[in-house]
Amino acid sequence: MPAEIIAAPRVRALGLVTGWGRGAAALPTDARAAAAGRSVVGLGRPALSGDRFRRATRECLWALAAVESMLEDGQTDRAEIAGEGTALLFVTAAVYGASNRAFIEGTGGSTHFAYTAPAVIPAEAAIEFGLRGSSVLFVGGAPATLRAIWYGATLLAQAACERALVLAVETFEECADLYARARRRTAPPLVEAAACLWLEPGVGRLELRSTRARRAEAGARARRMGEMLACGPLAELASRRALAAAEPLELSGVWRGEAADLIITKGGG
Amino acid sequence: MARRERVAVLAAGVTTPIGQDLDAFWSSLLTGASGISLIERFPVADLRVGRGGEIKKLTRLKRWDRVPDCRATRLLVSAADELIAHAPVRPPVVAPTRLAVVVGTALGGVEEGERALAGAAPRRLRGALYDAPGDNLARWLGARGPVLTVSTACASGATALGIGADLLRQDQADLVVAGGYDILCRFVMRGFDALRSLTRDEVRPFDRRRSGLLLGEAAALVLLSREADAGRAPLGFIRGHASTGDGSHISAPDPEGRGLERAARLALAEAGAGPEDVDFVSAHGTATVLNDRIETGVLKRLFGARAHAVPVNSIKPTMGHTMGAAATLEAIMCLLAGRHGQIPPTRHLEVPDPECDLDYVPGAARAFRPRLSLSTSLGFGGCNGALVLEST
Repeated sequence: MPAEIIAAPRVRALGLVTGWGRGAAALPTDARAAAAGRSVVGLGRPALSGDRFRRATRECLWALAAVESMLEDGQTDRAEIAGEGTALLFVTAAVYGASNRAFIEGTGGSTHFAYTAPAVIPAEAAIEFGLRGSSVLFVGGAPATLRAIWYGATLLAQAACERALVLAVETFEECADLYARARRRTAPPLVEAAACLWLEPGVGRLELRSTRARRAEAGARARRMGEMLACGPLAELASRRALAAAEPLELSGVWRGEAADLIITKGGG
Repeated sequence: MARRERVAVLAAGVTTPIGQDLDAFWSSLLTGASGISLIERFPVADLRVGRGGEIKKLTRLKRWDRVPDCRATRLLVSAADELIAHAPVRPPVVAPTRLAVVVGTALGGVEEGERALAGAAPRRLRGALYDAPGDNLARWLGARGPVLTVSTACASGATALGIGADLLRQDQADLVVAGGYDILCRFVMRGFDALRSLTRDEVRPFDRRRSGLLLGEAAALVLLSREADAGRAPLGFIRGHASTGDGSHISAPDPEGRGLERAARLALAEAGAGPEDVDFVSAHGTATVLNDRIETGVLKRLFGARAHAVPVNSIKPTMGHTMGAAATLEAIMCLLAGRHGQIPPTRHLEVPDPECDLDYVPGAARAFRPRLSLSTSLGFGGCNGALVLEST
């Protein structure tokens, strides 16, 4: 079978909120200095009104905030993304940690248990914005985000959707003591983040490479803007867009010793 | 949407409460052997329901020194060991960088998190991440290609097979080990107990007396290749896949099953097939009041006048709902049904529900050789999965 050709998607909009603030402009160039001794740079809890959000976890609320931020960046409203034509691809490495811990250590009610399922986070976004198309949840660090973009491009190329949203959320505060036990003291700070990328059909070329080699530059992004795990490549993309970076656009990620590179050339956004 | 190339299923490997190899699994499904028992591995006395499909002892591997002390990983490795034993093409024949691993799970390594919070070594924390068991499996296999973990709740085992097929279609790998897993642990038993989803009765899909599900643990894997590399006798083919979201409720399915219907239609479109081509349906069939009624409604809309002529089964009564493993086990069952010309029955279906009036293959196994099968799955978060499978 000849390999299917996957056209590079066009980036229509990108929303980013991090512990540093809103958008790429808030990202630092030296995360440890900017963190000023903090091991976790938190997002807090967004203020969303409405009874529906009363019991929702803050990771769910940040997922909604990321989609709102994306709509602002795209200068459009929620009506444009509602419906069966929108695929939602959610990525996270560790966001479920907070709910899992609370359920393990608490008495554990039925509503609380429901929120331990990572799939509930994109579900809250799907309910709020009326997203009813294809939906997949990838678990992992930065390479998983690159694969979610690849899968979005696959769905667009197959006309299985009209647009694909890649949504990533990472929160750390509730498990900060556990991360402190497991991480090296010299590691860059963990930075909470939520990001949503809007992809549409494009005309360029998309290439995804995967290796199992550790690379010297693996930690460069984390040293610059902090460790955001699955949100890292989207923060990087926001940063490049802000700088109007030239093509080809290369995004990379390393996780568990596996490196992935996503290369978008000519017309891919 | 264009028809896509079919992807060959070269072999399968399973670790289940009704058998730790494919032959035992298949014969138990046909004869109605039960894998349900009182859970013994952790305390359940405080729970309303303490039964489930527990694997009492992992019997396949004699030595575990190369495998982390993580139950989820060990279930996966046990299934992989059988997969490799049956594979006509051994993973070592491809370059390690061309061997990919895609696994689906609802719970990942959550039990490692329970152990870490109870005071175990900090290294347990890394194992608590949901992609840890998949990564451990890749290391055991020597796979150095893409390693993906997907988590569409209890539809994860379908999503993993679909993504694995896509990796091959796009030349990201030459062989893919794909499937699903999940274990029974305090975390999930407490959760479903709190939801009051577990039954004290038998699991009775589509029966008027159905009162809920029982959980089970399992791992199920298939070895996928492009059709041109498959040799003469693959187990079957993946023809189509879709995973969709309801966007209606965080834990309950859409009351009309609209997301599941979309998944089935998208998967059929990818297969280049229509509802009229489907010979058999492996339903999610959890035996909850809502699930079975919704699935029945979806199948009626999908098949129209043919709905009553298409056999539908659920294998969950035999081993419980194995969550991330369920859809992969059901896909393997579809392919074995085509190979052996037998459809396993839906156990404990004795009193028909007027709202569930399709042919659910009650009683005993039926002699029938499906060529094209549809497997449907649903999960928390409004997740839906559909696979279209072709038997050889």
